[in-house]
Amino acid sequence: MKLDELLTVLPVSVPGPSPGLLVPDLGHTDLVGLFAERLREVDGTDHGPMPLSAAGDIVLSIFAEAGVDRYLGWDDPGVPGIHDRLARAGIRRTEAWVPKEPASRMAHQSAYATVAGGLTGADFGLAESGSIVLRSGAGRARLASIVPLVHIAILPVRRLVRSLVHYAADHPAAPTGLSNLVVVTGPSRTGDIEQQLNLGVHGPRHLHVVLVN
Amino acid sequence: MSRISSLPSESLDFRSRARALLGSEEAAAIRLGTDRFAALRRQAEGEYPPMEKMRARAGDIRRHTVAHLGHYVSRFVENLEAVGGVAHIASGAEEACAIIGGLVGARGSVVVKSKSMLTEEIDLNQRLEASGHRVVETDLGEFIVQLAGGSPSHLIAPAIHMNRAQIGRLFADRLQAPYTDDPIVLNEIARAYLREIFLAADVGISGANFGVAATGSIVTVTNEGNGRFITTAPRVHIAVLGIERLVPSFSEMAVLLEVLARSATGQRLSVYTNIVTGPRLPGEPDGPEELHVVLVDNGRSNLLGGVFEEALSCIRCGACLNVCPVYREVGGHGYGSVYSGPIGAVISPLLFGEDAFGELAYASTLCGACLEACPVGIDLPRMLIAQRRREALAGKIPGPAASLARRYSSLATRPSRFERLWRLARLATWPLARGGFISWLPGPGRAWTDHHVLRRPARRSFRRTQGDRQ
Repeated sequence: MKLDELLTVLPVSVPGPSPGLLVPDLGHTDLVGLFAERLREVDGTDHGPMPLSAAGDIVLSIFAEAGVDRYLGWDDPGVPGIHDRLARAGIRRTEAWVPKEPASRMAHQSAYATVAGGLTGADFGLAESGSIVLRSGAGRARLASIVPLVHIAILPVRRLVRSLVHYAADHPAAPTGLSNLVVVTGPSRTGDIEQQLNLGVHGPRHLHVVLVN
Repeated sequence: MSRISSLPSESLDFRSRARALLGSEEAAAIRLGTDRFAALRRQAEGEYPPMEKMRARAGDIRRHTVAHLGHYVSRFVENLEAVGGVAHIASGAEEACAIIGGLVGARGSVVVKSKSMLTEEIDLNQRLEASGHRVVETDLGEFIVQLAGGSPSHLIAPAIHMNRAQIGRLFADRLQAPYTDDPIVLNEIARAYLREIFLAADVGISGANFGVAATGSIVTVTNEGNGRFITTAPRVHIAVLGIERLVPSFSEMAVLLEVLARSATGQRLSVYTNIVTGPRLPGEPDGPEELHVVLVDNGRSNLLGGVFEEALSCIRCGACLNVCPVYREVGGHGYGSVYSGPIGAVISPLLFGEDAFGELAYASTLCGACLEACPVGIDLPRMLIAQRRREALAGKIPGPAASLARRYSSLATRPSRFERLWRLARLATWPLARGGFISWLPGPGRAWTDHHVLRRPARRSFRRTQGDRQ
C-alpha cells in the first residue's frame, strides 16, 4: 500500500498546535541526593560526587572487584587517561568498531558475548527516576552499555536535571542528529518468572554511576 | 505446561473458555500477578503528585494525534526518510507479513524479536517460519511462551500463567539444560543461550511503543535490554508500528513516558527507553546499517470518526487488565484474542470481527475500574456499552433475555406493581433462602445461581424505608 492510499482513509486536516509538554512543579530538592536515592531504589549503585581526579581509582576498583578483564568503552567516557590506566592494570579494552560487511560484522560482534565490562560517559542524569541519558555518536559504542554484566557510567554533577519532562523541556529535539538516544534506569531486570525480580537478564546486572564534580 | 494455553482460542466461546480457566493454576497465577501490578501502580501514582495532571495531558496528546492521524503519519514518514529510514505501509496482516517476509528473505535467515503485540496480531512468526526463517523471541516471558508453543496471556507479563517448575521442565526439555526451578538459574540459562543469537542474528524485529512524528524516531520501552540488543546488533532493524501509535513531538512523548511505566508496572521509567532515529550514522561504531518501519493499519482506520475512535488512544500499558474483575478471574486466554481485558473486549470485535469477538462486550461487569486506571482516560465502560448496543441492534441478544429485559423495564416504571411483586418474591423464596441469601434456584434461574448468590428481597422495600424517614 502506498502512503497516499492510506491517507485517503485518515483525517488529513492540518491541526492547530498540539497540546505540548507539561512540566510539573516537583518542588525544590537536592538533585544529587535524590538521584542517588532513586538509583539505589532501582538496584543501581552511586559513587561520589567526587573530583574528576578520584574517578579513575573507583573505575579500576569496580572492575577489579568484579573480575573484569576485558571491557567495551567509549573513546572518551569523561575520565582523562582512563584507558591507559586500565591497560596498565591488565584490563584490556575490546575494539568496539563493528565492520559493515555482514560476515565479519557477525564474527566481530560474537566475540563480545563474554566481555564483562562496559565504560561509558552519561550525557544527563534524571534525578526523579535515577536515570542516565546516553547519546550515540562517534567513539560511543551502543553495545558498551548493552553487552557487559558490569556497566560503569561517568556522570558530571552539573548534568543532573529533575526529571524526564524537565530534560525534554531543555532539549525538545534531543533525538535529532544521532541514531540512538537511550534513557537507562537501573540494571536490566525481569519479573517474567513468577514475578520474582531477576537482574541482568540480557543487559548489565550491575550499573555503577560515578558522579564527578 | 498449563492445560489451557495450548487450546486453539477460536474453537470455543468466551463462556466455555472462562469456565475451563476458573479455579485453574493459570487463574491463580494471574490473580497473583494482577494484584501485584495493580498495587505497584497505586504506589507509584501516590508518590508522584502531578500524576493526575500528567494523565490528563497524556490523554489530550493521544486524542489530538488520533484526530489528526493523517497529518502525523505523513510527518512521521517524511522525517523517518530524512534520517535514512525506509517507511512501508501495510493495510492488513497479509500485506504486513508479505512486506516483512520480503525484507527478511533477502537479508538473512535468523531473526530476533522483541515483544510486540502487533506482530502477534498479524501472526508474523508463523508466516516467517513457514517460509523457512528461524524466529527467536527474546523477551524472557515471550521466549518461554514460544518454547512452550503457547500464546502470551498478559500485555506486560506474557508468561504470567506459568510457574517456575513448568518453566524448569520446559528448559530441561527444549534447551537440554539441567532441571532447576530456581528463577535466577533459569535466567542465566536464557541469558547465555540468547546472547549468542543476538550477536549473530541477521535481522532484528521490534515493535514500537511510539513513533515520533517530528523526528522520525521509533521508541521501544523494555526492562530486560533485549529491545536494545535486537535494535543494535543485527545488521537490519525492522520496526513494526500500528498507524495510531504516534506522538507529535519528542517532548510530548516524554509526557506519555511519565505515565506509561507508572501505570504498567509501577516503575518511574522502564529500565530502557530506547529511541532510534535512523540507521547507524557515518562515524558511529555500531548499530544497524538499515532501518525499516512498517506502519500497519489492519482495521484501525475503521475506528476513526466514530464512538470507538477513543480506543485508538491506548498506549498498551495493561493497567485496565490488572484491575478488571473479569480479567482477574479468567486471564488473557479467556478472551481468545491477542488483546484481552477491557481494551481487548472493545477493540477485538472492531479489528477482528463481530462474529468471533462480539460476545466479549459481555466479559465485563461495567464496574468502571478500567476507566479509573487508564493513564490516558479512555472511557472503556462507555465503549463496552456501545458494543453491547451494537450486538443488540444486530439482534444478537438471546430471545428470553430480551423479553425479560422488556418485562423488567415495564415493571420497574410502575412502583406499586413492582412492590407487590417483590413482596410475592419474598414469600416465594422463603424455602430457598439461607441467612437472607439464595444460592440455588430451580430451572432457568440456575444459570445465575451456578455462579452468583442472590440476596432475598428485603422485608421492607427501599422506597418504604426512605418514605418513613421523611
